[in-house]
Amino acid sequence: MIQLYRVTKYYEGVPALRDISFSVEKGEFVFVTGPSGAGKSTLLKILFCAERADEGQIIIQGMNAHRLGPSGIPFLRRNIGFVFQDYKLLPHKTIYENIALALKVVGTPYGEIERRTYQVLKKVSMEKKLHLTPPKLSGGEQQRVAVARALVNEPQVLLADEPTGSLDPQSGREVFDLFREVNMKGTTVLVATHDWETVRKMQRRIITMERGKVTDDGKRHVQWSLSLRPPADEGPDGAALRRGEP
Amino acid sequence: MKGYGLFYYIAEAFRGLRANSLVNVLALGTITMIMLIVGFFLLVFFNLQSSVQVMGERLEVSVYLKDGLTEHEKDFLLSRLKAEPGIRKVTYLSKTQALEVFKEELKGQEALLEGLGENPLPDSYEVNVDRSYAVGGRLEALSNRFSGYPGVEDVSYGRHGAEVLGGLLRLITYGGTAIAVLLGVSVVFIISNSVRLALYSRSQEIELMQWIGATRGFIQGPFLIEGMLLAMLGSILSLGILAGLYFALPHEAALFLSHTAGFEFLSLPVVASMIAGGGLLGFAGGMVSVGKFLE
Repeated sequence: MIQLYRVTKYYEGVPALRDISFSVEKGEFVFVTGPSGAGKSTLLKILFCAERADEGQIIIQGMNAHRLGPSGIPFLRRNIGFVFQDYKLLPHKTIYENIALALKVVGTPYGEIERRTYQVLKKVSMEKKLHLTPPKLSGGEQQRVAVARALVNEPQVLLADEPTGSLDPQSGREVFDLFREVNMKGTTVLVATHDWETVRKMQRRIITMERGKVTDDGKRHVQWSLSLRPPADEGPDGAALRRGEP
Repeated sequence: MKGYGLFYYIAEAFRGLRANSLVNVLALGTITMIMLIVGFFLLVFFNLQSSVQVMGERLEVSVYLKDGLTEHEKDFLLSRLKAEPGIRKVTYLSKTQALEVFKEELKGQEALLEGLGENPLPDSYEVNVDRSYAVGGRLEALSNRFSGYPGVEDVSYGRHGAEVLGGLLRLITYGGTAIAVLLGVSVVFIISNSVRLALYSRSQEIELMQWIGATRGFIQGPFLIEGMLLAMLGSILSLGILAGLYFALPHEAALFLSHTAGFEFLSLPVVASMIAGGGLLGFAGGMVSVGKFLE
């Protein structure tokens, strides 16, 4: 589904990502964690083609994002839902219009827009507020609308950059519950966050980054924790478990 | 891309025009003024052109004969005049007929002819030539050739008629084209500024559309149509004002301007071309801004 091979990105000569390699299988739920400046957001931007990698290869759903021309990028993005920390909702449009815009840009017939918008808003329990504008909603509600917008085109991949960074704990939990539901229906989810509490509770694969490098990839740990049996080459007190500590 | 066609873009363009109404009204006013100047030039140009055409139909060279030519010599000269290419008609005007014509022209001022004595006017051939002679000094060359024919006393032609008018037409063609190009560039500039403001005011929306998979065509379509509509509307308004001025023109002034041909308003194809041309300029103006903005 997602493959990165030796991806490096520089900003004005300073490396933001260094030699990143990992792959994410279809239907996986992956957390990308690390302190501020670790390169989490840059990584997501590169996956979303908002930034170009200077070196390496990125394959998303069979498309080589590194070689994708400007005309190909919109079509890649249509298969990826993106949730931003600051929601990026249009303040002068209603909730309905914000969602409908995502359907319009991909050319959804008018007849379908209303039905699908309502459906997705119902999924995030926002169907009763569809005529309100974003400033009239709480942060948690706005992020739920943003999630609805990311999901309305039924993307294969959902990327989220610090989706709960501006939310209270309860709203944050609701957003992660939504991600879990989406993931259970088969969507690959990749979330950049430093919300350790949630990461630990959700027991999913964790990729840890520091100073632009992947310092730990918890893929094996997740497999171990799900099967309740440590792999032969790694004891229960190995690096993967240490990562779970706050 | 499936789904949306021209109607979606037009609806979005109107929404954009309404959203930035103040800027667009100012742009519209300026474009209307510019297109009014273009329209005025076109009006003068086409009327002058039709005047030249009408004068071209009447393009004549008077070949004055020496006194005492025999009939045989006159016939020989006639056949030589007719042998020139582009001669439409040759009419013989005897000195007696010439005096009658002269008297007719001086009607009411016959006193001027008193004491004239013997008829001083010569016999002549009035040579009506093709209007292709109206350009490039061809009429002068023809007259010079006629002067060399035996039995010809003098040759005169309407130097201040069609040739002068033809020159004026050329001047207006070249000058008008240069001014039209400058004005066209101005329209592109104004539209591009107006569209740029619209783009900035909706930059958040545009950025978001890019994030959620909108193609470049989907984003730029409404802005290009917005530019096109603005310029077309400016053209239509300017034509309306021009038509108003034309119909309000005093009858005497119209007669003064139309001594050779009727002073006509712009023809329907010219009006349509002006609106379409305005639309194209608006489209170009939109392209300039949208291209820069999206890059």
